[in-house]
Amino acid sequence: MTSPLGGARRRRRPVAVPAIALTVATGLGVTVALGGLRRAPEEPPRRLGPGASLDQGGFTTRFVESRAVVWPNPFGGMGRRFLEVELQVTNRGDATVEVGAPGDGGTPGLFYAESLLRMTPAVEGGAGPVVSIPGTAAGNGETGGDDGSLGSGGGGGETAPSRQLHPDLPATVVLRYELPDSGSVPPRVRLDVGAFERREGSFTHLEREWSLVRDGEEADAPPKVVARVTLPVRTAGRV
Amino acid sequence: MDGVSPAEDGTATAEPGTPPAESGMSPAERGTPPAGSGTAVRRHRPASGTPSPARRAGLLAVGLALAAAAVGLRSAGLTPEERTAHLTWTGGVGDEISASRFSARVKTIHVTRAVETTDMTGRVESAGTSGIFLVADVEATARRRPQKLGRPVLLTETGGRYAATDKIDGSLTITDPDIQVGWWTEGVVVFEIPAAALAGSRIVLAPQNGFIEEALLPEAEIDLGLDGAAAERLISNAKDVYQLASNK
Repeated sequence: MTSPLGGARRRRRPVAVPAIALTVATGLGVTVALGGLRRAPEEPPRRLGPGASLDQGGFTTRFVESRAVVWPNPFGGMGRRFLEVELQVTNRGDATVEVGAPGDGGTPGLFYAESLLRMTPAVEGGAGPVVSIPGTAAGNGETGGDDGSLGSGGGGGETAPSRQLHPDLPATVVLRYELPDSGSVPPRVRLDVGAFERREGSFTHLEREWSLVRDGEEADAPPKVVARVTLPVRTAGRV
Repeated sequence: MDGVSPAEDGTATAEPGTPPAESGMSPAERGTPPAGSGTAVRRHRPASGTPSPARRAGLLAVGLALAAAAVGLRSAGLTPEERTAHLTWTGGVGDEISASRFSARVKTIHVTRAVETTDMTGRVESAGTSGIFLVADVEATARRRPQKLGRPVLLTETGGRYAATDKIDGSLTITDPDIQVGWWTEGVVVFEIPAAALAGSRIVLAPQNGFIEEALLPEAEIDLGLDGAAAERLISNAKDVYQLASNK
């Protein structure tokens, strides 16, 4: 009874092993052809200019312009000089977010402005920029810049500024760096901009919903630069 | 295959040899009763110990059902958000909503394009927006001990959460005064929202939450009762400026 069974077994064609071998070989070939198992090269940061829009994941940002303004000294003498960067930010999330502040060297940034990773050339001294949403959106924010040499005090005092980015409500965000008394105004500034991704934490009610996209797998990897935005600095009058 | 043939030979020889072996073995069997009983047990076990295929399938089904139930119960548990969620009392405009430690009422709502505020020193400041301002006149009272309201939130139909605007100084809104026991404190709540978010929106008022957030905080959720047409009408009739003065 067993010998015929054995005979049948002997007659079976060994298909599985060659088939698997062929599949593995094909897979390896395809992998090698596509560049192996190394990490795919990161796409380089996008280069953007004034007026360009960028999807930062959770926020859409339009880089409007950069300008130098002077607040005259009411008692005569040297006025205070500022470098302003104007952005139009729309919160694409579903909750109000504070505009926050960009990181400065060791101190991490906060909320939206955390994604403005670096500005070159860096403005020396001072405690980083003042980030605010001046009075009336779009319209009045301009006035401080157009007659920069006259300077209306940046629009404060008469219209209420804000620090909130409400969902689907575009807001004009101005970063204002105070320039040192001496030295020239840079002809252009370059902003390194990051992006956000939604991340779930174990303490979801304590952790921020959005966190910066990192440049690597490690927890302490630096934030990834998704775009480098170059803005010529517009000077009005004597600066 | 080579190993089979001796085995076959062995069985072939054993078969004819069994009758004599039996006779030969019988004294040995008699001499070792445990071996005999052992074989008896071994023969007995397959009969009662191994369950029938139907019984085995039944047991497997019960096991799978228990495992599935355990997994199901796990997913039915509360999420961290749900565990720390607020206890919500709901109502409409004009209703007195008692939310355990405080009561609140939204009296009227206004839609406006700008808000002009006059603070205690008489300084006039105007707040503009690319959307609209929703101003609600609210009043609140406390049940047992004084309360202070936290920053109000506007929930929209699409799940958006708008915090009350910071363009209006907090000292002019309902979040500033203590909500005392025994009388109603009046104030305003101002939201800055896109016009499209107005229809179907609800205002949420809750006591201030500490740095270590209190779970199950009571909150009053007031449905403004605005359908698309009503919201449209409010927006088209919106005042250009709403005057808000400090009444201190």
